[in-house]
Amino acid sequence: MSSRSISIAGSRTEVVLYAVAALAGFFIVWQLLVMYTAVGMVMPSPIEVVEAMVASCADPIGSKTLPMHILFSLRRVLIGYLLAVLIGIPVGILMGCFQVGEAIIKPVFEIFRPIPGLAWIPLAILWFGIGEESKYFIICVSAAVSIILNTYEGAKSVDPTLVGAARMLGANDFQVFVFVTIPSSVPHIFAGLQVGLSSSWMAVIAAEMIRSSEGTGWIITTGMDSGNTVQILIGMVSIGFIGLILASLLRGLEKKLCTWRIQGR
Amino acid sequence: MKKSLKRLISAISIASVLLFWYLITDGLHLFSSYLFPSPVAVFKAFVNKLTVTVPDGGTLFTHLVASLQVALYGYFLGIVIGVPLGILMAWHRKVDLIVKPIFDLIRPIPPVGWIPLMILWVGIGQSAKAMVIFVSAVTPCIVNSYTGIKQTSQVHLWVAQTFGATRRQMLFDVAIPSALPMIFSGLKVSLGASWMALVAAEMLASTKGLGYMIQMNRMVGRADNIIVGMLMIGVVGAILSAILGLVEDRFVKGRHV
Repeated sequence: MSSRSISIAGSRTEVVLYAVAALAGFFIVWQLLVMYTAVGMVMPSPIEVVEAMVASCADPIGSKTLPMHILFSLRRVLIGYLLAVLIGIPVGILMGCFQVGEAIIKPVFEIFRPIPGLAWIPLAILWFGIGEESKYFIICVSAAVSIILNTYEGAKSVDPTLVGAARMLGANDFQVFVFVTIPSSVPHIFAGLQVGLSSSWMAVIAAEMIRSSEGTGWIITTGMDSGNTVQILIGMVSIGFIGLILASLLRGLEKKLCTWRIQGR
Repeated sequence: MKKSLKRLISAISIASVLLFWYLITDGLHLFSSYLFPSPVAVFKAFVNKLTVTVPDGGTLFTHLVASLQVALYGYFLGIVIGVPLGILMAWHRKVDLIVKPIFDLIRPIPPVGWIPLMILWVGIGQSAKAMVIFVSAVTPCIVNSYTGIKQTSQVHLWVAQTFGATRRQMLFDVAIPSALPMIFSGLKVSLGASWMALVAAEMLASTKGLGYMIQMNRMVGRADNIIVGMLMIGVVGAILSAILGLVEDRFVKGRHV
């Protein structure tokens, strides 16, 4: 292959080597900037952050330790997200599979769709108070939009040849629905679940930042209020880390459930 | 099903939602009007908000202009930096090897999570919000430009090479045009993300803007103004993405992804 081509699959060791060097460089530059320049006034060094993170697993930040804060955020996401899945997939299928359903739901959905999930926060607080319910509501709304949209598109984009083949082999409407439409929209549904999960993770953080007394979002806002950059960075690092874990868990589940699809890719 | 019948059902659907909303509020008074105002009250609040500055210190228009300014500023900054960086990463292997690990390290942190740090660094002014919007806009721009360039058909590049194209010509005449649909879908995702980040940033620390408006009205318990603000955020978001769609139709020729 020519040396000019774009995607030369470089040897794995080279990729790893460069990655390690780049990351090491990034952290060393950060550390040095903090130690020897004015950056130190507004940023803690990476070593400080790691030390504080380890310490906060035993010493509480506020009223809880770091793992407890994370568990609180995760519980909220789990409840709100499951609600969104339970509502979103059936609504999406109703819209995608039945023309009457589409005619009824789509216009109403189109009104709500452009409103970002986070814009619901004030109304949610007014309606459900500052407790847990308002957070579930915000997370559910944020995740539901992309789940509905993707399920709808998945159900709409079923290959008509497959439906025709099933019909020719004597399948009735119900069988076509269960054995053709649903399985062929599963990859789309998973794409929606993936996007929905990351937006619900973002929503819980925003909701906790605006009103809460625990959770990862709370960690960073209280860090801001007290000018404690170490605490802010602990929060940001855990948020990024958990977000990554959630996404890869879902990808693992997708691999299990849609083996056929991944093989076909 | 006929198109006209479908339209009719859709119209009836929206009308019945409005009617239902009216019935449970002004009709039967199931909810107190301050928690859940009727559609009529929301419309009145909308007309009212065009001229009155109470209780959030600005008319709907001033809030809208403030939000648009910050959002577009951060968004364009995101495009100007994100798209070239993505292209650079995909085109030069060394850049890819060095920048990608760092990018992947920072990427999982949602833009909303940056708000406190930005506020601490640059204060609660417009620039902190612009930075947060920049962070949320830049990621999809980088990812999509990168993938778009990487997906350039190898055959097209070979053809260009055979006809004696320089590497620069291959980038500007082959790779970038064929990556445009992908880049544009990145711009769309960016736009949605920036608009959302703007609302979050304005709710947390601000003195004007649509996000500030809905947050202030929550504190004084004016649900009618909150709903006006939310609908406004939705409508403006939809208009912005429609404009971007028009731009895309003009510049992107050929296949769509």
